[in-house]
Amino acid sequence: MKQRLEQLLESGRQSVMQAQSDAVLQEVRVQLLGRKGELTALMKGMGALSAEERPVIGALVNTVKDSLESLIAERSAVLREEEIARRIEGERIDVTLPGRRRQLGSLHPITQVTQDVSAIFASLGFGVAEGPEIEKDFYNFEALNMPKDHPARDMQDTFYISEDVVLRTHTSPVQIRTMLKHQPPVRVIAPGTVYRRDSDITHSPMFHQIEGFLVDHNVTFGDLKGILTAFVTRYFGAEIGVRFRPSFFPFTEPSAEVDMQCVICSGKGCRVCKDSGWLEILGSGMIDPEVFKSVGYDSDIYSGFAFGMGVERIAMLKYGVSDLRLFFGNDVRFLQQFA
Amino acid sequence: MVVTWNWLKEFVEFDLTPEELSHRLTMAGLEVDVMEKLGAGLDGVIVARLLDVTQHPDADRLTVCRVDTGAGEVQVVCGATNHRSGDLIALATVGTILPGDFKIKESKIRGQLSQGMLCSEKELGLADESAGIMILPTDLQVGQPVFKALGLTDVRFELGLTPNRADCLSVVGVAREVAAMVAGTLHVPHATLQETGANIQTETSVEILDADKCPRYAARLIRKVKIGPSPQWLVRRLEAVGLRSINNVVDVTNYVMMELGHPLHAFDFSLLRGGKIVVRCPGDSAFTTLDSQVRKLTTNDLAICDGEGPVALAGVMGGENSEIRPETTDVLLESAWFEPYAIRRTSKRLGIHTDSSHRFERGADINMVPVALDRAAALIALLADGVISKGMIDAYPRKIENRSLIISTKRTNAILGLALSTAEVSRLLSSIGLDVKHAADADQLVVGVPTFRPDLEREIDLIEEVARLNGYDLIPVTMPSGCSTGHPEPAGQGTVRRLRDLMVAEGFAEVVNYSFVHPDVSDRILLTADDERRIHTVVRNPLTEDQSVMRTLLLPSLLETAARNIAYRSNDLSLFELRPVFRPVHGTELPEETLHLAAVLCGRRAPLGWCQTEEPVDFYDLKGAVEQLLEVLHIEGASWSNATGEPYLHAGKSCTLMHRNRCLGVLGEVHPKVLANYDIAYPVFMFELNVASLIQEANAISGIQPISRFPDVYRDSAFLLDSSVSAATITETIAGVRSNLIESSVIFDVYSGKGIPEGKKSVAVRVRYRSTERTLTDEEISKVHDRLVRSMESRLKACLR
Repeated sequence: MKQRLEQLLESGRQSVMQAQSDAVLQEVRVQLLGRKGELTALMKGMGALSAEERPVIGALVNTVKDSLESLIAERSAVLREEEIARRIEGERIDVTLPGRRRQLGSLHPITQVTQDVSAIFASLGFGVAEGPEIEKDFYNFEALNMPKDHPARDMQDTFYISEDVVLRTHTSPVQIRTMLKHQPPVRVIAPGTVYRRDSDITHSPMFHQIEGFLVDHNVTFGDLKGILTAFVTRYFGAEIGVRFRPSFFPFTEPSAEVDMQCVICSGKGCRVCKDSGWLEILGSGMIDPEVFKSVGYDSDIYSGFAFGMGVERIAMLKYGVSDLRLFFGNDVRFLQQFA
Repeated sequence: MVVTWNWLKEFVEFDLTPEELSHRLTMAGLEVDVMEKLGAGLDGVIVARLLDVTQHPDADRLTVCRVDTGAGEVQVVCGATNHRSGDLIALATVGTILPGDFKIKESKIRGQLSQGMLCSEKELGLADESAGIMILPTDLQVGQPVFKALGLTDVRFELGLTPNRADCLSVVGVAREVAAMVAGTLHVPHATLQETGANIQTETSVEILDADKCPRYAARLIRKVKIGPSPQWLVRRLEAVGLRSINNVVDVTNYVMMELGHPLHAFDFSLLRGGKIVVRCPGDSAFTTLDSQVRKLTTNDLAICDGEGPVALAGVMGGENSEIRPETTDVLLESAWFEPYAIRRTSKRLGIHTDSSHRFERGADINMVPVALDRAAALIALLADGVISKGMIDAYPRKIENRSLIISTKRTNAILGLALSTAEVSRLLSSIGLDVKHAADADQLVVGVPTFRPDLEREIDLIEEVARLNGYDLIPVTMPSGCSTGHPEPAGQGTVRRLRDLMVAEGFAEVVNYSFVHPDVSDRILLTADDERRIHTVVRNPLTEDQSVMRTLLLPSLLETAARNIAYRSNDLSLFELRPVFRPVHGTELPEETLHLAAVLCGRRAPLGWCQTEEPVDFYDLKGAVEQLLEVLHIEGASWSNATGEPYLHAGKSCTLMHRNRCLGVLGEVHPKVLANYDIAYPVFMFELNVASLIQEANAISGIQPISRFPDVYRDSAFLLDSSVSAATITETIAGVRSNLIESSVIFDVYSGKGIPEGKKSVAVRVRYRSTERTLTDEEISKVHDRLVRSMESRLKACLR
């Protein structure tokens, strides 16, 4: 009996291991452990055993049964694993095929630069102001210390709507409008569209500027250098050199042109910087007392500085755009690169 | 303004390299745009003698030259015709690199050895044009570098001067700056004249009738001049600063203008009718300037007249009737000073910009009048063998005095952020020739400003000079104290940002078009004759007609942009623009500027791909975008009505977007005739919204809806309806059931065609039920849903399918 049980365990083990699918395994199970199975058949012979043998064999029967049960369970688990593995293998896809995509939108680079620059100045405490694109001569010129017949008007070829109304040639009129409305202290930037009567490879009749100004007690030229150095290094990188050199604007005195080290050649000299190693990036200066006079600020009490930059120029340097016309051509192959 | 190294050296000593000088000038506010070293790297071009010139055996137009280089003999093949045996010429020896990166190599030309090149002036960068090779003066030493032998080694500095620095429109003016930089001394040339013959006062007269425009007019008379070419040194120097040589007398006036900054004019005295000068405004008249152009003068144009009429446009250009001719013998030399505004008006109105008008407009130095006159007279006497008549006429009816200003050291330091002493300020200002004296107050200085610095009018101008001369570099970098005032953002700026972001999220690319357009855009988009958007703000002086009126709608620019992209075969487009449009308002000076947001959409819905739909976009793609815009701005209950009245839209596929009786804009398919006008061959959908209205209707999030913990149940019902029943009425009918158990309803299918009777459509609706308080029973839901179905049946004559 004992021998037969051991044989049953051995042949059962082989049948279980040979089962290649869950269905076959179930058949094996029925064959071994079912009501009409081999173990049941063996147990029918128990009655013929002696009283001493019976508990020993009984225990052995249970052991064999448990062993077979667990063999079947293990085999079943293995078969299930294999089945899943097979299915996964069968479902393999080509992951190199491109995914399902939607058209991406993009902000125009002019908008992006304006937003990025504004964010830096916002963190330096500057608010945003706006003004009309079609402007009175007074705000665009007169109040900025550029009376009629002033040679400085030659610096900005102007589109006229009427004798006294122009397409603004810079965002500086926003300075006047803001100062007429608010008493110091003021810290404001004014991004906007401006127009000059000039069109060639480096000039567009419409372009964009960001104007900024700060008026308070005890503002110095050193503060102007501080704010603008902070801006240039934050926007273009901390390693960029900045220099200030004398220039002329009718509405600032002293005036300064702000150059940064050429981002193309790192100051070594190239075509973009005309071999100088420097790029003009901002016009700036201490606000002229004449401007304060025209807005009713007392220049004995307050001082301040103003600055302005060309958005397209900054975008060209930042993104390596060499042709100004790309900004207004609106070719989607250009625009989508800013997605 | 161009200055050269050698010329500067005549007036000031300095020990700088050209690179250092260039940098120092730039940092002093005289920006060097271009620095050019003349003759640099051309030491290989030497003076050589032609030993003989023979015809090339195999080429009619070439010669074979034997050349003595001083160190031996070489053979050169040359194509020029102006060279003869014995001539001294400029030989570029083998290995020399000529301007334009042209390297001279030994070669064979038609079988003959050529060991170098005989150069023309053009090839050496000495002239723009030249006929034949350069024949050198006979007294040069063979073998010497040509540039050195001719004294041509020099450095040109092209300065980009700001309009305030009229004083630097001369070599002496720039030299004054250099002297200040290096703490050197400026030497201004003073001419010594030999005067002979009758006194000028007996020969001619000057009368100034308009002393406001011309406070000073001086003249000298030089007789017996021989007009001829100028000597080489003068020609070269003029060429170096960009002027063309004309003849010895005219060249002298130009030379002195470049040297001292004062424009002069030379008249042929024999051509002055009545032999005298009258400075006046001749009024409306025609006058031929020496460029042979007939100029129409008006009331305020100042002219130099003789006894009869104009002989020069004062300070701008001379007249053809009195110009120096080859046969001229007597020269009346003018040195005058004119009010900048007068010269500016005339030159601007007539569109004549000359070296002379440029200087007078920006402000010449009135005290330079006699100095420049004497300098030029002396040079004419020297170079044209002229005889200077005794004395000069110096009519100076309105004297202009030196300005006197006061500068405070305290204020200077307060503005610049420096800590200079009064003595330092004094030293800096003195270095550029200002007359500085200490005032009673130790903080202050009294500064006499010479007439060569008309730009220094106020204390702040002097403060700028202090900053400039001390160096902007030396001003310490500081941060302003105090904090921002926190001006509120202009209304709606946040909304505008959100609109842009949403358009990008919807897949649209932002474009920026010019604000000015061609006036015919109104026709192209079929606006009717009485449409007020045809009335544009007009640019008076546009560059082209394409940019001559300010746009009243964004659509035309977007269509143009779309057409341009389609021409480049970018066919699937979703573009938007958010910028102002301009509407003239009667009775106000400035037009009304209103922000618009417009978009165009065309082509395929998704980029081409193996798993992407190839379907083209339609009206509902666009409408979806607009709906989402409204959602982002929390504008609820907007209505879409089919009638837009817009001639540029397809009447069946377009609508007006209304909210609380305010029109927010229009959307729809662009009319095929408009598309044809833009050469677009397939449907384009557009919207154009008024951003100002959107901002007014926009709401902030007012509070959130609670989220139910209980499960939802939905019922789908399909209704058979008349085709004319709109989705809006179905939605309204469902809303009319007014049950708080209805969470949402969605039309998820609309069908007509096979199986549906003519004139009918099937609309399937999914209604979602949910309570925030409990799990709903089937009974509760059925009660509401039955009511909904009955409402559909009774109100819309719907049949449940």
